Amino acid sequence: MILRALRAEMLKLWKRPATWVTVGLFTLITFADVLDDYRDALKDPEVSFFLPEAWSRILGEEVMIGFIFASVLVILLVAAEFSWRTARQNVIDGLSKTQWYWAKVLLLPVVAALFLVLRVVVGGSFALAGTDLSSGRAVMGGPQFAALGGMYLTGLGYACLALFVSAAVRSSGPAMAVWFAWFAFGERLLVGGLGSLFQGLRPALKWAPVSTFNRLNDYLRYDPEALRQAVEWATRHDRPVPQVEALGPAVAGTALWIAALLLTGWWSYRRRDL
Amino acid sequence: MTDPGDSPVIQTFDLRKRYRRTTAVDGISFRVDAGQVFGFLGPNGAGKTTTIGLLLGIISPTAGRFELFGGSSARDLHSARRRMGATLETPNFYPYLSGRDNLRIVAGVKHRDRAEIERVLDLVGLGRRAKQKFKAYSLGMKQRLALAATMLGDPELIILDEPANGLDPEGMREIREIIRGLAERGKTIFLSSHMLWEVERTCTHVAIIQNGRIVRQQSVADVTSHGVAGLRAADPAALAAAVAEYPAARWVRQRGDRVVAELEDGDLAALNAWLARRGVHLSHLALEARSLEDVFMEATGVGELAPAATDALPGPVRHRLGEVP
Repeated sequence: MILRALRAEMLKLWKRPATWVTVGLFTLITFADVLDDYRDALKDPEVSFFLPEAWSRILGEEVMIGFIFASVLVILLVAAEFSWRTARQNVIDGLSKTQWYWAKVLLLPVVAALFLVLRVVVGGSFALAGTDLSSGRAVMGGPQFAALGGMYLTGLGYACLALFVSAAVRSSGPAMAVWFAWFAFGERLLVGGLGSLFQGLRPALKWAPVSTFNRLNDYLRYDPEALRQAVEWATRHDRPVPQVEALGPAVAGTALWIAALLLTGWWSYRRRDL
Repeated sequence: MTDPGDSPVIQTFDLRKRYRRTTAVDGISFRVDAGQVFGFLGPNGAGKTTTIGLLLGIISPTAGRFELFGGSSARDLHSARRRMGATLETPNFYPYLSGRDNLRIVAGVKHRDRAEIERVLDLVGLGRRAKQKFKAYSLGMKQRLALAATMLGDPELIILDEPANGLDPEGMREIREIIRGLAERGKTIFLSSHMLWEVERTCTHVAIIQNGRIVRQQSVADVTSHGVAGLRAADPAALAAAVAEYPAARWVRQRGDRVVAELEDGDLAALNAWLARRGVHLSHLALEARSLEDVFMEATGVGELAPAATDALPGPVRHRLGEVP
């Protein structure tokens, strides 16, 4: 049943025009961003844009744009099922509510991977063009794979948040508004407000979902050589030296939030009529 | 395929659904046996769709229970739903997918192959339009696609909620023929509809729901086997008022210049004599077949009464004229 459900979700993903609109838009934005980095490299001799050094730029903060697109796509794919009443019809046709929900969960790893892979392919292709492949250096190594793993987990976290909001709100427009509000300012407002009211909560509030996910979205955590260069550069230019925290708690925190969002979303979806 | 018999396919026991301030379904109990074509009738807001939603597992009951194919546990109901095909309210499909792709999704859920998709598409006459996107379909085509999806998997029980809604007469005829074809193949059909004459032509049994309660449940043969008196006189309103006072009149209704009444004894001669003694002279009196519409209006209190003729009458007589106290 799981395989059948995944196949059905893939058919919907593939045939939905929104998929191709988000993918096209994200590719354009990524292309423009990488082109900008490439131009910087041409102007500034301190900046390089060849592999593997360019990964620190390709997998920089801008990876976040992919997570936003992934979340938008998840909301469009899931919340619309309530507006079209296909969520209801799928259950009438014989899926249990549990099967319906977990079929949507199967979609999340695919969507999260889609936008991360696009970033890697577009950015990597650009950088590869300027790379001397005859030097014998590997264009991608352990630090890059570790970074991709961590960032994939971040993307999954954002996608789970989008699924949770979609299942709770059950309408694309409002769900998107709620997701953006939480992402852009809601979490910060809530954390700030609660932190000022209950000072003892402050250490725990640092682990609010979006803050936790973002802890894994820092390339310097994964690449000691890039970190060394960044520290050198900051010292030379009298800038704040980048600090990195241990990976373990961030991975555990993200995994816990993913589990909590999926299970709460499931509980919320199951207890309500369709 | 299920043999027609006494085994209940659907059975509800004091089933209730209450929302915050409204009771949509108020303790209904009914039974649908294998092979029956069961019409589920009621005015708008009577609780038809909620009842079907409860049976289909998309709405949780507040109290009471129901059985499908004799089982009532969550596992029984889930496996029972694999033996059913159903549509609720409007046809619900993915607008950006073609008719065929939409059926691929349904076939995936029901574990059916592509050959069956083509079979049901042909059955509802959508074979040539299967490539077209659902959002481009006319309402009639959407209804037919919903029927095709319902028939995927050759279900034993088919539940249809207003399948002819919004269709032109030709579309209605097509849907009716498909339903008849299914009934002839021994399928159990649970059909919710507003169209009484459609139900009368198609169904073997009916239940009438009003304000969340079943107010009448019987076979269509029983409904139509009892005759009603059709009367005409110079003043139809006065005639209706007079007949309403006749002791053997169960109910009376005025329809334009005609008056229709159900008599406990069916004795037209006695009625004629009683009216003549009161100075009401008839131009027409005949025993007519009672329609499902008559029964529906009697059960739900929806009538076509002339207010002037009823206002002056005492309560019990007004009740017999079709008003619900």
